[in-house]
Amino acid sequence: MAKTFHLEIIATDRVFFEGEVEHLVITAIDGLLGILPGHEPLVTCLPTGELKYLVNGKWKYAAISEGFIQVMPESSIILADTCELPEEIDIKRAEEAKERAQEKLRQKQSIKEYYQTQAALNRAMNRLKISQKHFK
Amino acid sequence: MPNMREIRERIASIQQILKITNAMYLMSSSKLKKARKSLEATEPYFYKLQSTIDSVLEHTPHTRQQFFNRRSDIPDEKRKKGYIVITADKGLCGSYNHNIMKYTEQELEKAADLDNCYLFVIGQVGRMHFQRRMNSGKKAFVDGEFLYTTQNPTLYRAGEIAEMVIEKFESGDLDEVYLIYTDMVTSNQQEARTLRLLPFERKHFGKAEDGTMKKLPKASFMPSPEEVMNYLIPQYAKGIIYGAMVEAFCCEQQSRMTAMDAATNSAKDMIKDLSLMYNRARQAAITQEITEVCGGAASLDE
Repeated sequence: MAKTFHLEIIATDRVFFEGEVEHLVITAIDGLLGILPGHEPLVTCLPTGELKYLVNGKWKYAAISEGFIQVMPESSIILADTCELPEEIDIKRAEEAKERAQEKLRQKQSIKEYYQTQAALNRAMNRLKISQKHFK
Repeated sequence: MPNMREIRERIASIQQILKITNAMYLMSSSKLKKARKSLEATEPYFYKLQSTIDSVLEHTPHTRQQFFNRRSDIPDEKRKKGYIVITADKGLCGSYNHNIMKYTEQELEKAADLDNCYLFVIGQVGRMHFQRRMNSGKKAFVDGEFLYTTQNPTLYRAGEIAEMVIEKFESGDLDEVYLIYTDMVTSNQQEARTLRLLPFERKHFGKAEDGTMKKLPKASFMPSPEEVMNYLIPQYAKGIIYGAMVEAFCCEQQSRMTAMDAATNSAKDMIKDLSLMYNRARQAAITQEITEVCGGAASLDE
């Protein structure tokens, strides 16, 4: 069996990654999910979270927000709103967004707005977490 | 023959307008460059999204999913139809606004009952137009709360719009949702078109560029097909609305650029004609003066 599979990660603003990978680990809604070449066909959704993939024996990390993945035995496609490398994350901006979201959460809000802010907060926290973990 | 002062004033005023149209031309061409860039960046996502959903749907077991529910028990004249129309915020962009509004009206005419049509207009020009129309008695309800700008589309804005229509669809306030926008066929050919957003029909995901999707016999869904669809379809709606907004914005800038270019050119032509006329008038005036002087001199000689 082939050792690698083709992975495409496409964000709304660019094609983030396209190439052969050996292993992919994603955060699905119910936990981490590892994908190796020859995986059975699968469709699942990706909440805001972390993503890592193995290229030539080296792990690469990325922060991803809301998307979905389609897995096929020899290729996988991830479509997401945004996808960033740890070193691309603007810490200052994420921190500001976090503050803003927290401030909004403290205020009285309708349920819809509450979910929106919670999602914004999640995204900001995720960016901060990943950039702190892998990029110092 | 008009007098020289009049012509001079006219030339001056045309020159002023020429300056304005020329500046607008330059501005819209730089905005177009930006819009093009974001369109190019979004296009892979836009197409991949359609083709991937297409292939996902092919392998989805038949589910009683609410987004696929056509609600065929509701008769045609009682169906509530929602239209998201993307127009420009400003005028002076040739026939761009006119085309999209005319197209929307044609679409509305197809609807069985205008009372059940709801318009969600993005962009000032279209909103004003349809609100005026609503007040003049031709009924198609325009949502006044729906205030979004077309300038520099963001994913966040598209997400809000998608959420709003999906909520209305779920609660039964709308039975069908269409998206009307201008599509850029080639860089100088534009076309208004309709895209059905909800309810989903499997064949609607056919627009993809490459037909090379690999077939997979049946896919498994985690945690469950319904769950995944619940998540995927709002995501798809958001992506589609965003893509349409980017496309429409790019078209707007393109047609503004073309319109301003044409205006600049015709101003130049007018100035050319007028200066010819001015020179003729000047010549005539000089000739007349000479004749008068000669005439005066001749009369003195006698």
